[in-house]
Amino acid sequence: MLRCSFCGRRAVYHRRYAGVFLCDRCMIKSVERRFRRAINQNKLVNPGERIAVAVSGGKDSVACLHLLHNYCRGKRGEVVAITVDEGIKGYRDGSLPLARENAEILGVEHHLVSFKSAFGATLDEMVRIAAKRGTGLNPCTYCGVMRRHLLNQAARELRADKLATGHNLDDETQAIMLNYVRADLSRLYRLAPIYAPREGFVPRIKPLREIPEKEIGLYVLLKGIKVHLAVCPYASGIHTEIRDFLNSLEANHPNSKFMILRMFEEIRPYLKEAVPEFEMRGCERCGEPTSTRLCKTCELLQGIGLAKRRKKLISDGDS
Amino acid sequence: MAVEVRVKIVGQRSTRRVKVEPGTTIAELLKKVGQNRETVVVRLNGRIVAEEEPLKKGDLVEILPVVTGG
Repeated sequence: MLRCSFCGRRAVYHRRYAGVFLCDRCMIKSVERRFRRAINQNKLVNPGERIAVAVSGGKDSVACLHLLHNYCRGKRGEVVAITVDEGIKGYRDGSLPLARENAEILGVEHHLVSFKSAFGATLDEMVRIAAKRGTGLNPCTYCGVMRRHLLNQAARELRADKLATGHNLDDETQAIMLNYVRADLSRLYRLAPIYAPREGFVPRIKPLREIPEKEIGLYVLLKGIKVHLAVCPYASGIHTEIRDFLNSLEANHPNSKFMILRMFEEIRPYLKEAVPEFEMRGCERCGEPTSTRLCKTCELLQGIGLAKRRKKLISDGDS
Repeated sequence: MAVEVRVKIVGQRSTRRVKVEPGTTIAELLKKVGQNRETVVVRLNGRIVAEEEPLKKGDLVEILPVVTGG
């Protein structure tokens, strides 16, 4: 039997990048310590703040909700949950009840916003229209841009001080690699533990950024937290290729993901000068903050013959 | 002499029987069945364990894919 390097109980995990074995209790403690360290080192949350958490029902966002709920309780703060229903049949319908259930268990206010009510079409419908029109854009483009749009707007309407997402170490290193491959300096620069672009944007925080995805999976299993474990049916192409590449790199060379993140953190301060400044204004169609005439969401909607329907997402008493 | 263990990928219906040399670790078994250890959590006879645990005859290895990405 393999034993925990710290307390001698039965090990549940070999953290190869640190050369230690961990038992269930030490594993849980370690994840919670890393979460708190990320918050304290990067000043992600201040006492008394209202934090909106983007909760899909998947392991990362649900873990983020539980951890932030416990953290904020001790800091006179408050957590609210926002779930975006993109409308992905056979995928999102499995995770939505779990987002709601976890918010209920914690006694956290929960708000649901959907592509269908905001934009008049589900992601599945948009993908079909886009294919017919031959836009050449993949589903992740629509989903990513529009989900961020709704989360920011909903968080702002809920008067949240910060918007927390469940991005983990794997997500961050994949995004770093993707932006290298695409030579996208602006997006690369945005990959920070806290990113507050301009007025109209709720600062986004990523408290799980230094925790590998596998460890978050282990954490929810050990804690008995109910989550949705499924792969998005639209996941394909370069994103999955980079994910698989990084996982095989990590399997053969433990600590690679942390080294990619650390190297990026060394480089990031120098990127500021290379990223052009932009002036913010309101989107001509929906009024949301943007640097161009139309925000990216309205531009994408226009391309498939749609327009944003709801100006306000959260109505009084809506939950 | 090789021993037989049962391997189940959680979420899939069937359970496979795989022959391994005694003392083979779960990590080695994962390689053999084409699973990346960075993307799964493993239960050995119902308990979550580290992948360096050695296998013995009749063990049930449940593989839980926890890395779903995005």
